[in-house]
Amino acid sequence: MKMEISRQNLYLLILSFLLLLFVLIFSFFVLIPHGKQYRKERVQIKKEEKELKEEQKYNDKTKTTLKSLRSENKNIISAFANSFDPKRFKKLHDGYFSELEILKEPKEGEQDGFSVYSVKATSKINSPKTFYNFLDAINKTEWIISVNFPIRFKKEDDLISSSFTMKVYSNMVDTNLTK
Amino acid sequence: MTYSYIKPRKKSFVTSELKLLFIFFFITIIMLLLTYMFLVFKSYSFKQEHLEIQNTKRDLNISLHKMNEDIKFIEKQISVSKKIFTQNTVLKDSIANMFDLVPERITLSEAKLLENGLILYGITPNKDVYNFMLQAPLRSIFHNTYSSFYPAENGWLYFVSKNYIDEDETTLKEDD
Repeated sequence: MKMEISRQNLYLLILSFLLLLFVLIFSFFVLIPHGKQYRKERVQIKKEEKELKEEQKYNDKTKTTLKSLRSENKNIISAFANSFDPKRFKKLHDGYFSELEILKEPKEGEQDGFSVYSVKATSKINSPKTFYNFLDAINKTEWIISVNFPIRFKKEDDLISSSFTMKVYSNMVDTNLTK
Repeated sequence: MTYSYIKPRKKSFVTSELKLLFIFFFITIIMLLLTYMFLVFKSYSFKQEHLEIQNTKRDLNISLHKMNEDIKFIEKQISVSKKIFTQNTVLKDSIANMFDLVPERITLSEAKLLENGLILYGITPNKDVYNFMLQAPLRSIFHNTYSSFYPAENGWLYFVSKNYIDEDETTLKEDD
């Protein structure tokens, strides 16, 4: 039995076969590798987004910590940032003394990463209690000041003359971290 | 004379079946290309997103590093200031203790507080009062105590009391 295929059907068959071939080649060599790549990249991006979210969360947490540290220790931070002004110091603490002389030494030193300079003070006080009050007040003043040895008290008529050295701590000049 | 009831149609190569097939082919190819374009576009957008995430991460790291430095610095400031405040309070207590140590019968004329010692100048009615009421408590605080006396005009005694802490011994005790 002889099977007859018309010319048109033959063309159709060839065209269909070519299309199938194209679809197969295109799918296997282009679409599937790209699809695989797409899935891989999507997983990667999701992972990176998750990591970023976590980092942002940690960043926000650190920001809150820093903010609260700054607000809780506002006085200490500004005290380190202030440069010592003998006139202002005298004005603030004159009430504790009958006489107060402040001499700032020009030479600066460094301690614990802070700039430190010495200030010599000579004063006259009515009673030791005044000096205790001064030591209490110095912890709340506008600068970070430590009173150091040697401290000398000498009776002079009705008053006590005292001489002592103070160390004023401030931020190093090139430090602008807390600004 | 006609042999058919319908008019003869023009025969063309593109028949209606073929047209349908072409449409099917066209749609198939378009769908494939659209899928391909979608994948290419997504790949590009992922790359952009990846770059953006990397940039944000870098900025976050810089900001985090800066904030951590700030926190460290503030913590250092707090620790140093606390140390200084404690030192001042301890100093206040030391001076108060020193003045409390002096009995009413002994009058101080000068006191020098040193890093490792205390020098007192004053006047005492007699040596016994000094020895029992001032030197004894001083001896319990300081390792080395030296006293010297010289007579005052009113029959009392001027005294100089030099008291020192042996720093080596203190360090050893702290180590223990």
